[in-house]
Amino acid sequence: MSEKKIHEDQKYIEGLLQNNSFIIQAIYDTFVPKVVNYIKQNSGDADQAQDVIQETLITIYNQASQKKLQLTCPFDAYFFLLCKRKWLNELKKKTNKEVTINEEVLSKDDDSQELAFETSLFGEKQELFNTMFQKLGNACKDLLKATFKIKSMEEVAKSLGVTYAYARKKKSLCIGKLTKMVQESPQFNQLNY
Amino acid sequence: MKEEDYILFEAYLAEELSVEEKTAFENRLETDAAFNASFNTYKELSGYLEHTIKNEAETNAFKSNLKSISNQHFNKTKGASEGNKKSTTFSLLKYAIAACVVLLFGIVTFNKMNQPAYSDYNEHGIMDLTVRGGNIGLLIKTTKAFNNKEYEKASGYLETLLEEDPENKEYQLYYAVTNIELDKFEISEPILQDMAKGDSAYKNRAIWYLGLSNFKQDKEEEAIKWLKQVPEGADYYRQAQELLNKLE
Repeated sequence: MSEKKIHEDQKYIEGLLQNNSFIIQAIYDTFVPKVVNYIKQNSGDADQAQDVIQETLITIYNQASQKKLQLTCPFDAYFFLLCKRKWLNELKKKTNKEVTINEEVLSKDDDSQELAFETSLFGEKQELFNTMFQKLGNACKDLLKATFKIKSMEEVAKSLGVTYAYARKKKSLCIGKLTKMVQESPQFNQLNY
Repeated sequence: MKEEDYILFEAYLAEELSVEEKTAFENRLETDAAFNASFNTYKELSGYLEHTIKNEAETNAFKSNLKSISNQHFNKTKGASEGNKKSTTFSLLKYAIAACVVLLFGIVTFNKMNQPAYSDYNEHGIMDLTVRGGNIGLLIKTTKAFNNKEYEKASGYLETLLEEDPENKEYQLYYAVTNIELDKFEISEPILQDMAKGDSAYKNRAIWYLGLSNFKQDKEEEAIKWLKQVPEGADYYRQAQELLNKLE
């Protein structure tokens, strides 16, 4: 991936990362109408399109900030594929049956396919991690929140009124518990690593 | 995996293992597939948690900005297709607004010749809390009472809202405003002073209201001190400058 040339549209990724309203606005003006049309033509309405687009942009933002997302293809194709995949998944969930993909609007660009695939996988994983984290008990949740916010384990221990050794051990056991929950979830196996 | 394994994962990631322990750990990663898979998930989760929790504030800022741009975009496109039907009411509304502007202009110019009064400046803008989630019934009641200038009522509702969500800056600001209106400065000022020191989106409005609140109590010097701190470009900057000119 690293030898590939970064596309000039990387500016959209950077703009999202910087929460730049001008760039976000430009994305809505330039790339969103095509997605809305697609969703409307495929059993959806404007409200559903709005949600899909918003969630997709949040996933891109998260991937950019966590994994240093680098765009090697036009933003247009990448963004469209992502929204489309998300919408088809929604349809699948709702109707519980296979949906056929209208292939003619699909870009033949390999890079965008690959990148869009990576991003959707990332997004689905995030969603799974988040769901599982919410299912953890409050004691674990509080400890983990404090751990990653405060950083110094000594201070975490102090703020929670426990010893350093205990906080330390508890942190690994809580992430361990989360690891087990994630591994045992049916969605995890579908996200074939 | 056993508990010891997770403790080992953590120690390895924190680079706290001795050279021998580290070699043994890495050997096990190569030979034990289940150990390897668990370690990778553990590491990935650890990275996910670290990033998500540390960047919570930034991510939330991005989400709310995105939401407002998105709402604007979608309302605009919806409005364009419905535009024709509404055009008559809309142009009537335009005249009404124009009339109000003329009237307001008249009032403002008239007032300029007089001493400034609190009532020239207590225009708080239209409150709209109903866009938030939560106790919608109560939010609607609060919004209505506040916009109708029923501050006693609004203040009571806001108190209830703040009991449920004490950190909510928007509620805090409006609660402070209702208390300025009710002359309960001992309630409003500490809230506003805290906000003026913080860095929420309501910081500058809190500064303006501190100026206005002191002005209402005839504490001119204090009022001037606060009004001067309303930065250029902030909401109420124009009003702050105008009031300053009259006071100084």
